[in-house]
Amino acid sequence: MKNKLFFLLAFLAFGFASCEKESESKEPGTIDINFDNVAIVNGTQTQLSMATAGSTTYTYTNGMSQTFNVTLLRYFISAIELTGPNGEYFKDEVSVSAAGSKGYYLIDESKSASQYVTLNDVPAGEYNKLTFTVGVDSTGVVDGAAGGMLDPATNKMFWNWNSGYIAVKFEGQSPVSNSGITGSESLAAGAANGIVYHVGGWKNQPGTAFVYNNKRLSFTFDTNVKVDKDRNPEVHMVFDMLKLFKGTKTIDFTGNHNVHKPADGVDVANNIPAAFAFDHAFKGITNEKKLDHLRGVFFCFSCLHKGRCGNQHLPV
Amino acid sequence: MLFNDPLLSRDQSVACSNCHAKGTAFTDPQHALSLGVNERQGTRNAPSIANMAFMKEFMWDGGVIHLDFAPPNAIENPLEMDETLEAVLRKLNRHGSYPGLFKKAFPELDTITTPYLLYALSQYQAMLVSASSAYDQYQLGKGSLTEEERQGLDLFKAKCATCHSGALFTNQDYANNGLDTVFPDLGRARITESDADLGKFKVPSLRNVALTAPYMHDGRFKTLENVLDHYAAGVKSSPTLARELSGGKGQLGIPLTSQEKRQLIAFLKTLTDYAFLLDPRF
Repeated sequence: MKNKLFFLLAFLAFGFASCEKESESKEPGTIDINFDNVAIVNGTQTQLSMATAGSTTYTYTNGMSQTFNVTLLRYFISAIELTGPNGEYFKDEVSVSAAGSKGYYLIDESKSASQYVTLNDVPAGEYNKLTFTVGVDSTGVVDGAAGGMLDPATNKMFWNWNSGYIAVKFEGQSPVSNSGITGSESLAAGAANGIVYHVGGWKNQPGTAFVYNNKRLSFTFDTNVKVDKDRNPEVHMVFDMLKLFKGTKTIDFTGNHNVHKPADGVDVANNIPAAFAFDHAFKGITNEKKLDHLRGVFFCFSCLHKGRCGNQHLPV
Repeated sequence: MLFNDPLLSRDQSVACSNCHAKGTAFTDPQHALSLGVNERQGTRNAPSIANMAFMKEFMWDGGVIHLDFAPPNAIENPLEMDETLEAVLRKLNRHGSYPGLFKKAFPELDTITTPYLLYALSQYQAMLVSASSAYDQYQLGKGSLTEEERQGLDLFKAKCATCHSGALFTNQDYANNGLDTVFPDLGRARITESDADLGKFKVPSLRNVALTAPYMHDGRFKTLENVLDHYAAGVKSSPTLARELSGGKGQLGIPLTSQEKRQLIAFLKTLTDYAFLLDPRF
């Protein structure tokens, strides 16, 4: 049975490989961007493991050897742009309206569908660079109430008292935190071991004291990904939660662990850029992802061993 | 209808109009610090919400930058309505009348969501325009002021209008008017997180000011006489005190005789807009 499947898959793969040259379409296509929240310990990447409120199992350790767990992780990605080596350019539409705002994506660790951002009508061509903002800039705020991802009743990412959207909302628990927290979504008010980092601040006005904590980030891929109507590539980004707490600034959970305003969140905000990284891209031959899925389930063509090999070995 | 509906609060006990009552130009007639659900006391005095359509920023500290974003502060503040937007929307969507009324106002809508709720409240507030006081009639040449009121107006222009400027009687800036030397309420500094803004609060409009007692961000002064006494002789020095109140010759505040105070108050009373207060639409 396994042998038959092997030949079937091999046939399919060669079939697609040989077709590639013939299907150079000039029509726009779709690209998916996967934001995968992970924890990287000693170079080994693992899926983020979430804890419940009250749990005293502390899976993670920050840069100060303080243990902690995660009860909530959610962040805004917006104003996405793609650029290519030959002048290709795609700008995701950003618009704000009651019926539904466009161009704002809320990545929520508890909702796996939210971790895939689908960009449609991307002009055919090759792309090797992704740029986006972590957070919601003035465009999303100054016109007043908005719907869709910007609806504060559903995104729970809005500061009423100081109008603006939280860029990154992290909540968790650490045994070294020893004073009560407030305004937490996942933890009880006053929870003594809570650690709450609501990081935001969008007023980018030089000469004023307002703190700007959104981050505009760019990532270059290790390969060019082709987009057209027959190719649906996927760019796989990782967000290393652990890096929020170590990087340019080491975060100490014994103090300033109840962050609800821009100035208090600066240190965590400055750690955000290093937390994101380009991981790999599926180049986007039709059905490649399905093959990749099969490869993950059964074996790798190149390594010829069972299960996901971890290398991007499928022919493209 | 929404504005007067306690449905917006957690236990259906507090409506917007509890603390922004029409008869007192949409302020709280009774309390220096307004009461929310379970008689919980807030931290600031409810300001008038007339002429909000012309304001750049909202609340005593200006933390709210769009009128749409003002109501959730009251709805979700535990000391005020102590409710969530989510729950308000649930109540509205299963209400007997609101879904139909919203559909009529916003034909594209299927379910009432936050932006539509906030649009509705903003639309109502934007209608609250007060611009037909005796002073306005005088300005338009359609009415007259008494001798005392005119003298008050001249004094006002000379001594008050730097901050309480223009048709709205506010420059929409933030100022420390010398109430305190230490600031348990940081004021504008809560938003800018800058020591340069400690103890500064929004310069309020003075339209209908004779009706909006008590005065100041914490409602500490019961009468306009108290307010003028403060400016004349009660101003306290601190690093962020308004330049206008720092005096030239080591003297703080704005020197005022009792006659001048009477004239100023006579003028301030001409800013009461009875047509607005009696408008049957509100």
